[in-house]
Amino acid sequence: MNLPVPVPFTPAAPAELSIALAVSALLFGLGIVGFLSRRNMIIMFLCTELMFQGAALAMIAFARQYMDVSGQVFVIFILTVAAAEAALALALVVLLYRCRETLNSEAWSDLGEGGA
Amino acid sequence: MTTLLAAIPKATIAPELSWLGLAILLPLVSAVVCALAGAFRCKNKFPAVVTSIALGASFVVILQAYLAYSGPVVVPIFQWIEFAWGSGGAFKSFEANCSLYIDSLTLFWMLFVTGLGTLITVYASEYMEGDRGKGYARFFFGISIFLFSMSSLVMGDNLVMLYLGWEGVGLASYLLIGYDYHRPSAVAAAKKAFIVNRIGDLGLALGIFMLWANYGTLQYDELFAAMNAGGQSSVDWDISVIPFLLMLGAFGKSAQFPLFVWLPDAMEGPTPVSALIHAATMVTAGVYLIARMFPFFELHPDALATVAWIGAGTALLAATIGMRQFDIKRVFAYSTISQLGYMFLGLGVGTTFGACYHTFTHAFFKALLFLTAGAVMHGFAGQLDLRKLSGLRHMPGWKIVSWTMFIGCLWLAAFPWTAAFYSKDVILLKALTSERWDFVLLGWVGLFTAALTAYYTFRVWFRVCAGPVKYEMGAESHGAEHDGHDAHDGHAPAAHAVDSHAAHPHAPRWCINGVLIILAIGAIAAGIPAYREVFFHEPNWAQEMMAHSSAVDGAGLGAAHADPHGSSSGSPDGSHHATVLGMDAHTGLAVVGSAASIGGILIAFVLHLRSRSSADRLLAWLKTRPLIGWIPGAMEHKWYVDEIYHGAFRLPMWLGAQVLSLGDKHFLDGAIVDGIGKLPILVGKVFRPLYGGVLQGYAVTMAGGVGLVLAWVVWIWLRGFN
Amino acid sequence: MTEIWLAILVPIAAALGLAVSPARHARSWALAGTLASLAILTDIAWQFPAWKTGTYFPSTDAVPWIAGAGIGLSVGFDTVGLLMALLTALLMPLCILSSYSSITERVREYYGWFLVLGSSIILAFAARDAILFYIGYEFTLVPMTIIIAVYGGTERRIAAIKMFLYTFLGSMFMLAALLYVGWEHRLATGAWNFDIDALIATSVRLPSSTQYWLFAALMIGFAVKVPLFPLHTWLPLAHDQAPTAGSVILAASMLKLGTYGNYRFALPMAPAGGVELMSVVAILSIIAILYASLICWVQTDAKKLIAYSSVAHLGLCMLGLFSLNPVGVEGAVFYMVNHGVSTGALFLCIGMFYERYHTKDTEVLGGLARRMPVWACFMVFFTLASIGLPGLNGFIGEFLCLGGTFIAEHDGQSGYPGVLGPWYAVVAGLGLILAAMYLLILLGKIVWGPLREPHDEHAAHAAHAEHAGHGHHATASALGADLNLREIVTLAPLAIACLWIGFQPKPMLDAIAPCAERMLAHYPANVERHLHANETAVAATTAESSGDTAVAATTATPSNAKGEAR
Repeated sequence: MNLPVPVPFTPAAPAELSIALAVSALLFGLGIVGFLSRRNMIIMFLCTELMFQGAALAMIAFARQYMDVSGQVFVIFILTVAAAEAALALALVVLLYRCRETLNSEAWSDLGEGGA
Repeated sequence: MTTLLAAIPKATIAPELSWLGLAILLPLVSAVVCALAGAFRCKNKFPAVVTSIALGASFVVILQAYLAYSGPVVVPIFQWIEFAWGSGGAFKSFEANCSLYIDSLTLFWMLFVTGLGTLITVYASEYMEGDRGKGYARFFFGISIFLFSMSSLVMGDNLVMLYLGWEGVGLASYLLIGYDYHRPSAVAAAKKAFIVNRIGDLGLALGIFMLWANYGTLQYDELFAAMNAGGQSSVDWDISVIPFLLMLGAFGKSAQFPLFVWLPDAMEGPTPVSALIHAATMVTAGVYLIARMFPFFELHPDALATVAWIGAGTALLAATIGMRQFDIKRVFAYSTISQLGYMFLGLGVGTTFGACYHTFTHAFFKALLFLTAGAVMHGFAGQLDLRKLSGLRHMPGWKIVSWTMFIGCLWLAAFPWTAAFYSKDVILLKALTSERWDFVLLGWVGLFTAALTAYYTFRVWFRVCAGPVKYEMGAESHGAEHDGHDAHDGHAPAAHAVDSHAAHPHAPRWCINGVLIILAIGAIAAGIPAYREVFFHEPNWAQEMMAHSSAVDGAGLGAAHADPHGSSSGSPDGSHHATVLGMDAHTGLAVVGSAASIGGILIAFVLHLRSRSSADRLLAWLKTRPLIGWIPGAMEHKWYVDEIYHGAFRLPMWLGAQVLSLGDKHFLDGAIVDGIGKLPILVGKVFRPLYGGVLQGYAVTMAGGVGLVLAWVVWIWLRGFN
Repeated sequence: MTEIWLAILVPIAAALGLAVSPARHARSWALAGTLASLAILTDIAWQFPAWKTGTYFPSTDAVPWIAGAGIGLSVGFDTVGLLMALLTALLMPLCILSSYSSITERVREYYGWFLVLGSSIILAFAARDAILFYIGYEFTLVPMTIIIAVYGGTERRIAAIKMFLYTFLGSMFMLAALLYVGWEHRLATGAWNFDIDALIATSVRLPSSTQYWLFAALMIGFAVKVPLFPLHTWLPLAHDQAPTAGSVILAASMLKLGTYGNYRFALPMAPAGGVELMSVVAILSIIAILYASLICWVQTDAKKLIAYSSVAHLGLCMLGLFSLNPVGVEGAVFYMVNHGVSTGALFLCIGMFYERYHTKDTEVLGGLARRMPVWACFMVFFTLASIGLPGLNGFIGEFLCLGGTFIAEHDGQSGYPGVLGPWYAVVAGLGLILAAMYLLILLGKIVWGPLREPHDEHAAHAAHAEHAGHGHHATASALGADLNLREIVTLAPLAIACLWIGFQPKPMLDAIAPCAERMLAHYPANVERHLHANETAVAATTAESSGDTAVAATTATPSNAKGEAR
């Protein structure tokens, strides 16, 4: 068992962290705005992916900042899950499209509480 | 406050006498056999034979016990309810075992209970024969259960055994009154009997608790010992409440005011049942209870006086109602209530001897009267209306019935030199010679009632047995005219509507006639103790039986009582010379009593035999009188007691129950419980618009929620931590 | 211990076997499973060593389960628990038998859930660990809800949901109280332990104000189950809608979990609270007796009538329990068993005519003695037992409950801290008169009187329409046919039990007496102690005099066998 010893790297400067966080927040915000404003289910799905990546970026940034690999581990997890989920979600979207011949999410609002 | 308590003989424990338990066991065995016979659809008279033999054997057992009797004994049989606990104060155990308490009072009662039980079972074997294969086994099952319960009531050595029998006879009464269960009136009567009795039973149960709470035991023997030692109340209630509670039970079972209303209705049962249960034996259980617990009735000075007042009042009330009834059995039912009133009067004025002796004589002549009425009913297809029967004694085959009924009527009317004349005499004498003015008054009420009794008794006999031969057959052959008695006891009305014996009266055969003759002889023989006393100055048997039991206080045989008739009545020094109408009390009462009896009979003779139309004219005249015109009608309607009870108790309770029922459904469950159940739904309604089904709506809600949390965090941060 | 677990698990095993076998064998599996459980429990009772001691057996070997939280898989019986478990085990096979003809659809699920129901009730009666008790107590709701909601009458869903939510809400209070005592135990000893005896040992040392709230919380939980007066409204509906066998188990065993809980938890855990609230509970019980009895009087639905009569009868049982003296408690426990027998039998009887006529309406039906004499005999018999006729089983419990109430007085010589008294007994006694009244009226309507049957086509058709599709189909039994052998076999054991207990109650009384006494042992001395402790606290006098007996929570031992308060 002679795994390579990870090379210790130096913590990032505070400026680097805030830039990374800003980008992460930007990604997340774009995702939210997109998700809330668009009706096309594929676009909405892409927006959720954007938010995902925003969160993942923040984690990597913090991992770098605090020299802790668990942030990276989480990100790997997120990527895996996101991939799986993308497969499922796209399949669902295709199914939904087949039912109502549209990608507009409002076509499905009758599933809600009020049965709108 | 207690009078001088005469010593009650202490009982010895005699396990070797456990064969006495047969008196209870045999009826139970016969009940089981009858039940099995019913289950296997037995079609012959087997149940009757078994019951007769079992009851006869039980009579023999009692007779044997009587002959071998030498003093009170307690016979343990098996442990029934018994448990004990270690810690605590006075109460360390609760014991109510199946044991027998045999003293002369027990034997006195059991002798006539089992004897009459046997005779009436024999009678019923013929009377009920039309029901073979249908209700026959059920009927004798009921009779056996009754005898079982009555035996445990009388022979049990503790009050819980008595209570077992007390409710058991109530059950037997319920089953037998409702024997003809397809008739709603019978079902209602059975129900009424049980429920009214339950009111009394509650009093009895509370009395039992009270006794236990104060004396820590329920066995007679220990109770009497503890009683002599004196007790003090360990609960809220004063110890003197005991007699009133027990009294309530006695009033229920013995059909005294205010709980007498069930007994007339109980006549819905087959006639042998009326004779056995509702005339001769079960209804005397109240007398037995008071006689048994007599010492405890001296715990409160007014307890016995209450019994006397209720007794005399009931006697008068029932007699007035009896005067205006047309159904023979109902007349006899009211006469039973009235005679029971005499017994309670006797107990109340302090002569247990008089009360119990009257119970004894009454058992014979009243059973006889009911059985003759049953014979008439049996022969005339259920006809019991005294207006529709006449001249029975001139009809072939009805001689025995008519003349045994005549004997019964004479005895009920307390005709001079009959047994009932003497037994009633003891009671009235004690009342009239009492130092209490109210007892003297009650004695005169009793005398007046005696005249009424003689009148209504012979009203029946002169109407039914004397006069020209004239009869209508019972409603079985021509529709339901007389409500409640339309069906011949135990016969399905439809199936027997036009059977052979409905067309013409059929005279009773040997089972019925034989029993009638034996009972008539018994009624005459019941006077022997009194004859021995009057003519030979020997001690009265019944009096001696009382004097060696817990009823000794009222037996009138104390050392101070020189006069064997007890006429000096509780004045040991003899300073109080009682007189009745200026004569010596004994002679005076005999004269007045005879006059009352003969006068009543004569009036009945004039109104109901010599010129029957005069009775109607008298009635019509009475009804036109302004002030008293309502009385005959009220008497016919039993003084509206049933209606008053209905209006005062049943109706308000029923309305209350309806209100509660609706309240339970719509308020408690509907408004409150369901209302609380709707709360989450209401809360949900507030937030429902947020989840309208638009995907972005959910997202906005979510984002808004996150935003709010963030804002909160930031606000705390801005406020600073301290 | 192993044997007890066997009695609990064998029915579940049967349920598993039933799940994988064809539906036509379902009832045989169920019968075999319940009979095996009954046999095992009978064997336990046969060689039960603690009949005279009133303690748990087995009492020592705790099996850790969730060790960190002090929750063990410890089961054991005291005589009260054993009697109740025996009653349940006796009724289970009879219920299975009675369902042969009435359940025709989704048969496997029905019997499977029924077996689970029986097991979980027995688990609750056998648990020696509070959390284990809670699991059994609460899990009964799941199968019962399914049995009512799937196999019940027309309003079955509402009835099931109401029953579930109502009793579940109540038991949350109870669970909170149990957890609180467990926490106190941890404070006192440093370790979690939910052994019932250990909890009791802890909680009796709590200050009386705490005990007051503890008692109130436990009481709410159990009062819903009993059910006590204002909390009873779920019961008539549930009974009305449940299938016959469900009603039987509901009345006979599940309601007893409430009274049993009072006996096992509320009363011994918080004696000071019990004394404080005794009169409240007693008054509610008395109201329950009179209120339910009056409602019974005007009920026209036979099953609802019996359901309300259960409310009244259990009111009397609670009254006996809260008289807090040996007579009353003895009577109450005795009554728990007997109410199970006679009311269970009454529900079976009513189910039998319901199967034939598809109506329980006493206005429509009547005079069935003519059609079904054997049934009528049983019906009359069990009604009389329920009325409390001496010589049958109901009487002794009733009599002792009333007697206990009568003598329970504060200044009495009994040495027990009762506050009831003769007047309570008088008012409760009126309930006995009313009981005779409504039950005899019921008899008068459906058993006696002229024959009245629903107009066949109309009513039967309506009934079919109503029940089509939920397994409550018309049965093979023809309209008005008398009981068949299977039904007689169903009722006969209960009739024998009624007679036997009525005439030979002594073994059972002897078995209950030590338990009652052991439960009450928390009372006379402890209550004085707590009252005393309170007074000293209020008066702020020197603590030395009472220090030896007052709050000793900090030194409490976790030992359960000896940890009883005295």
